[in-house]
Amino acid sequence: MTEAALRVRGVSIAFGGVSALDTVDVDFPPGEITGIIGPNGAGKTTLLNVICGMNPPDAGNVFLEERTITGLKPNRIAELGLRRTFQSSQLFAGMTVLENMMAGLHLMSSTGLVGAVLRSKRMRAEEEEMRERALTALDFVGFRHFANRAGDALSFGQQRIIEIARTLIHEPKVVLLDEPAVGLSVNRVAELDELLRRIRDERGVTLVMIEHVIRLVMGVSDRVVVLNSGRKIAEGLPETVRADPAVAEAYLGHQAES
Amino acid sequence: MQVLVGKRAFLTALFVFLFVIPWIANEYHTFVANLILLYVILSLGLNLLIGFAGQLALANAAMYGIGAYGTGLLMKHFGLPFWISAPGGVAIAVISGTLLALPALRLSGIYLALATLAFAQFTFWLMTHWTPVTFGAGGFIPPPIDFSPLPITQETGIYYLSWGAALVLYVFAKHAMESPIGRAFVAIRDGEVAAQALGIDLLKYKSLAFALSGFYAGVAGALYSGMLGFVGPESFDLLQMVLHKAAVVLGGMGSVIGSLIGGVLLTVLVELTKEFKFSIEVAFGGLLIVFVLFQPNGVIVFVRRLLPGWNERLHYVPPGKETEEDFGAVPETDPEAPAEPDDPAEVPATQPRGGGPV
Repeated sequence: MTEAALRVRGVSIAFGGVSALDTVDVDFPPGEITGIIGPNGAGKTTLLNVICGMNPPDAGNVFLEERTITGLKPNRIAELGLRRTFQSSQLFAGMTVLENMMAGLHLMSSTGLVGAVLRSKRMRAEEEEMRERALTALDFVGFRHFANRAGDALSFGQQRIIEIARTLIHEPKVVLLDEPAVGLSVNRVAELDELLRRIRDERGVTLVMIEHVIRLVMGVSDRVVVLNSGRKIAEGLPETVRADPAVAEAYLGHQAES
Repeated sequence: MQVLVGKRAFLTALFVFLFVIPWIANEYHTFVANLILLYVILSLGLNLLIGFAGQLALANAAMYGIGAYGTGLLMKHFGLPFWISAPGGVAIAVISGTLLALPALRLSGIYLALATLAFAQFTFWLMTHWTPVTFGAGGFIPPPIDFSPLPITQETGIYYLSWGAALVLYVFAKHAMESPIGRAFVAIRDGEVAAQALGIDLLKYKSLAFALSGFYAGVAGALYSGMLGFVGPESFDLLQMVLHKAAVVLGGMGSVIGSLIGGVLLTVLVELTKEFKFSIEVAFGGLLIVFVLFQPNGVIVFVRRLLPGWNERLHYVPPGKETEEDFGAVPETDPEAPAEPDDPAEVPATQPRGGGPV
């Protein structure tokens, strides 16, 4: 296999003595969509939290393009090119959609307090550039007309799409999506499917997606990883995983533990 | 409705009015006007911390006191002139403020409020009991400030220093909040985890918010020591904290112009209640509760409703680009009311790349 965009090696983490992840190894190939599935409590969100730095692992390592990011703070990991969304909408309610997008470009700004207060030429030029990039990013999802709306004045589904656009705005290498389809109607899921393909094909971003909507994961993912009780139980092409008896057992609950 | 009073016209009128006060008003009214300027500064600084960055800290009165004590004691103990001891007092307030950011990295909400309150009480205790340094509960009289070669009294000199400081610090706060710094503050307030995931450094921006509020309170404190010609602990007690918070809430949390209005209103109300012999604690505690319950966004909300030109933006929008139409209307294929809960079936299919209305 070629060099992975994101590599998880031997990651274990326990909360209060309860193991949430147990020596998990996963490679996420560049420019592909990897779906992570598994029953509730399998450790999917914990895996994303470990990757993005919110929960440092007890053991093991995470590599972003062969560079170890284990133990770094989330904002440092974001600086290195990894972005994520959350299960609930995380648009900032006190900002407009445009400002939310510009907040996603925070790291682009080199303005310090003095430059901001004096409204230096460089600061104004940077703000103008961020604004243009924010609008371009909204165009990518067709939501430019929402630029001046308050973040919390949009429907839940619209907020989710704008959040995805916000993760893309600073040209990330890897984007983690935590259940992007949760609460979306059938039509919206189809749009999301198309959007994810466009992100992969037009932006070349490596996508990692936790999802319960099996039709979406199996349809759009290049590869699927199955977690159960904190362990990886299967991995491969969607068809292969679908046919795997261990996966069926994990989902149907033939035997609770693997 | 057309814009009746522009924001800029209001600000100009207010500051011109405050500028001429020492010429047209009596000594007492000039003193109240000076207090107004100080409360504008205090309210601006506290709003940056609690209204924008969302850090519920209760140590602003302590910072104010540290600024006043720092300035006065440097003059008293070391014989330094005001021009050196005032920046010194402000520096001490900034350092103490920044140190308070450390608990804020681990604590939030009520726990942060308690930790900062403990710090405020400790500071108050030092002011009252560390007699060899702070002169204890009776306070002290700092040496007079020499404004020569300017032919003005200490009162007039401090008044115009306060006037200049309030104006500069207003512009300072407004510009800072309309920059990436303001967006980082609001992002931390609205969602710390999401802010960090976008690369916003919590340590850096929380420290900055605490340092800024320490700076504003320190400047107000330094001016206060010169204005009153006396420094004592009772000026920096819990009631003082309630007053600062009330000024912010009265004007509007997260609004720079609101803090200006809040500082003016609060000082006027405090003076009025003194005249009517109300219990000031009850009056302002009550006012704070009423506003928090019924109008948490302050009087600025009413002003904005009446005067459309008073809307504030967080980010800097280049002139001539601030109209709503700039982004195009919602496409006619999109019949959806945005405030509705999710009804995704009505949303149009994702448009082709770059196909949004321009």
